[in-house]
Amino acid sequence: METLMVDRIHSSLRLFMHRNAIFLCERLCAQFPSETNLQLLATCYLHNNQPYAAYHILKGKKLPESRYLFAMSCFRMNLLREAEDTLCPVNEPNIESSIQVPSGATGNYLLGVIYRCTGRMSAAAEQFTQALTVDPLLWAAYEELCILGVAEDADECFSEATALRLQQEHASTSALEKSNFANENRILSSSLPSSLGDIIPKQMKQLHANITAEVPGYHHVRGTALHVQNSTTSNIVQFDTPSPATAQTSSIVPPPLFRNVHAYQNTISVDAPAKQKANGANQPLRRKYLDEARLKKVSGRLFNQSSESLPRRSARLSRDTTINSNSNISQFGGNGTDHSSGKLRVNSSTPSKLCSTAIRSVQVRKGKPRATENFDEGSRNEVIDEMWTDNEPATSSSVTTDGRFFEQDKAERIMSQDSKLAVGIRELLGLLRLLGEGFRLSCLFKCQEALEVFRKLPEPQFNTGWVLCQVGKAYFELVDYLEADHYFELAHRLSPCTLDGMDIYSTVLYHLNAEMRLSYLAQELISIDRLSPQAWCAVGNCFALRKDHETALKNFQRAVQLDSRFAYAHTLCGHEYSALEDYENSLKFYQCALQVDERHYNAWYGLGVVYLRQEKFEFAEHHFRRAFQINPRSSVLMCYLGMALHSLKRNEEALEMMEKAIAADKKNPLPKYQKALILLGLQKYTEALEELERLKEIAPHESSMYALMGKIYKQLNILDKAVFCFGIALDLKPPAADLAIIKAAMEKVHLPDELMDDDL
Amino acid sequence: MESDAEEETSATPTAGRLKGSPELTVDADMREMAKTAAWSVSSCKAGNGVAALRDDNLDTYWQSDGAQPHLVNIQFQKKVQLQLVVLYVDFKLDESYTPSKISIRAGDGFHNLKEIKTVELAKPVGWVHISLSGADPRETFIHTFMLQIAVLSNHLNGRDTHVRQIKIFGPRPNPVPRQPFHFISREFITYSTIR
Repeated sequence: METLMVDRIHSSLRLFMHRNAIFLCERLCAQFPSETNLQLLATCYLHNNQPYAAYHILKGKKLPESRYLFAMSCFRMNLLREAEDTLCPVNEPNIESSIQVPSGATGNYLLGVIYRCTGRMSAAAEQFTQALTVDPLLWAAYEELCILGVAEDADECFSEATALRLQQEHASTSALEKSNFANENRILSSSLPSSLGDIIPKQMKQLHANITAEVPGYHHVRGTALHVQNSTTSNIVQFDTPSPATAQTSSIVPPPLFRNVHAYQNTISVDAPAKQKANGANQPLRRKYLDEARLKKVSGRLFNQSSESLPRRSARLSRDTTINSNSNISQFGGNGTDHSSGKLRVNSSTPSKLCSTAIRSVQVRKGKPRATENFDEGSRNEVIDEMWTDNEPATSSSVTTDGRFFEQDKAERIMSQDSKLAVGIRELLGLLRLLGEGFRLSCLFKCQEALEVFRKLPEPQFNTGWVLCQVGKAYFELVDYLEADHYFELAHRLSPCTLDGMDIYSTVLYHLNAEMRLSYLAQELISIDRLSPQAWCAVGNCFALRKDHETALKNFQRAVQLDSRFAYAHTLCGHEYSALEDYENSLKFYQCALQVDERHYNAWYGLGVVYLRQEKFEFAEHHFRRAFQINPRSSVLMCYLGMALHSLKRNEEALEMMEKAIAADKKNPLPKYQKALILLGLQKYTEALEELERLKEIAPHESSMYALMGKIYKQLNILDKAVFCFGIALDLKPPAADLAIIKAAMEKVHLPDELMDDDL
Repeated sequence: MESDAEEETSATPTAGRLKGSPELTVDADMREMAKTAAWSVSSCKAGNGVAALRDDNLDTYWQSDGAQPHLVNIQFQKKVQLQLVVLYVDFKLDESYTPSKISIRAGDGFHNLKEIKTVELAKPVGWVHISLSGADPRETFIHTFMLQIAVLSNHLNGRDTHVRQIKIFGPRPNPVPRQPFHFISREFITYSTIR
């Protein structure tokens, strides 16, 4: 009865029947109280968004999986201290994370996130690196490292050596595959992306005992492929399944997956189950077959992408894989589109990506390895199955079914399986390498290089929400707003539910003064997800564009409330306070943003501006310099740094900085203008004039430029030109404050010099 | 510009009296300046105090309760540039409580206020825009620490006065710090800040 219940619970979870699952699980725990059942119940609660319930039942439990689930519940409830203590007990010497930290790589990842949220960046970086070592396909860990600015080259992380390692691990596992048929079946399914839902519950159920005993092979397979180290997860439930035959037949509903014949394995059909069906009678043979098939399937699945493979799960478990995978993904994604939430970035990207890409293809862009472990908590990904291939045609779903499998020699299969595995691993790593390198470079603001790397991606991968948003972001950092606009628009069109980069997109539209489009975007985002901070940031930007700073502020504050770990919302609040001249509050908000993400150069910049206005030039220079150190390519930052230096009267350095800014971006008129200002201050009138003449070509309709020229001519006593320039400046309709100054200046042209004031 | 309102001469026999308009029209390059200022009044009736002048609600009003002239004092935290004062009054509702002659004074504090403008109103209904600019372009703004709006007399010789809302406008600060002039062209504005 126990196994039956467990099975039903898993399938309920898989199909999002949370209340059903919880009910059955509670009955299960009452009837067969055991820690593994409690874990299953906790998973059900976590799926149902009741982390407090999971917290309550798992409090004090010691098994690694329980600790992991408990930590996850604590994290969801924002009890970071407890979560940390559970994952990394204070009094136990932290020898080896794989032992100490439950759930292996994902445990390290969670611990890393907790460290980051509590401000311990180096410890966080350590944990993420550890997670990556344990499981090189754990993209989220690499992503976090990039954000912290300490990621090593993607080539290192996703290198040949890693490929070999993965391969070896996998290979060794396959040798052991002789485990319980049922388990394997399950396992396989779990490995299938779609099966995620399925498997996880099962796995959860199971638990340690079974793991090693049962399907060592499977476990390994999964583990190696994904480095899923969670022992629990590997426990494929040890279902006391009724005779294998039954299981088999039932499970055999071969999913149609195999259509996808990707390069990976044509012969090895994942459809072992299918085959099995065919061979109903031959149990032992089938079992072996299954093992292999599963193995292949697993590997195939891991490395191939095919929607087909997804559904592979055994009939019993088979469900609509796509649904599962999708659901899994979205589940993982943490409730929908809001990936940006600081919480578990774990799958943040994936869900969105998944949504955008064809569901069928389990194309995990980021290769989420998290797989089973995460599953434990229900929310994590199922990754395992995300396979992902670089090129569609290239990989074949291992699932290519075909009866031939049966006929093949087992050894042969294993070998070809291995080679396919190798190919698959390499492909996956290749893709991850590109994406990782691109992301790393863009986090280090080496935008040009990042763009080049991203361009190397194959078409289908490139044309997905995440990549396009990254490309847009890179252009944004390069202050090329038109290109950024283009890419963001494309991204939004291709995957309207990706909210991740939309806050930057709204800023791009703000800079381009595209009021209509910005308000349209904001409305759209709100209608997609009212609870996402990006949507409110877009709305706020709309109001800010119209200079209604108070309403903008209100909206940004809403965004902050929705997710206090979203640094950009804090920065935008700071900008609005600054516009309202409430400098105290703006400082506060900029500092909040920096607490969340120290490498958020916009906040450093904001602080610099406030200090500049308050005439605390030393502070201003310091903060601009910090921003500049983080993003050394931004010509605007260089310009501001130069302005601060000029205010400090360090004119030589200021001029140098302006030269750099001019060189960095020819289209930016501001550094040239500032250079002219500095030269004016140094009384180098002719050079200043030259600069302004050059500037005229770029920005012919700028009244401030003519006004400045007028001033310089006045200094040089070329009065007719001065009046002429002032006249042009007036014609260009400057705002009232400038009008007054310019008119006054015009009248004073014929008077002696003492009134050339109002300048800096 | 707002000064046009002053030249309004409709049906009233005396030219130059302000009538008030139903809309509050202010240039985009101006903004409300007195949110962080200290507001006080010379006298008020209970329940109709100074807060009614700033609550953005045209149904609530300040009612004075003493001798004329009735004063509204606005003290800023630092010297500011001001350009426009706008009051909302309604003759139809307030009749003899509606101000008819208003004097605006500016200075550093109570001790050195100097009158800068006087206006007369003729049965005004709506927003009355009072520009503080002089004729000279150099005098577009007044730089002051304090502004005082004095109601010297009311319509129909009423003793006390009702004013429903007061707003003070000045120029927007330059979004780019430490610049002599504002930027107006797209090219400059796009590159002028980081958001």
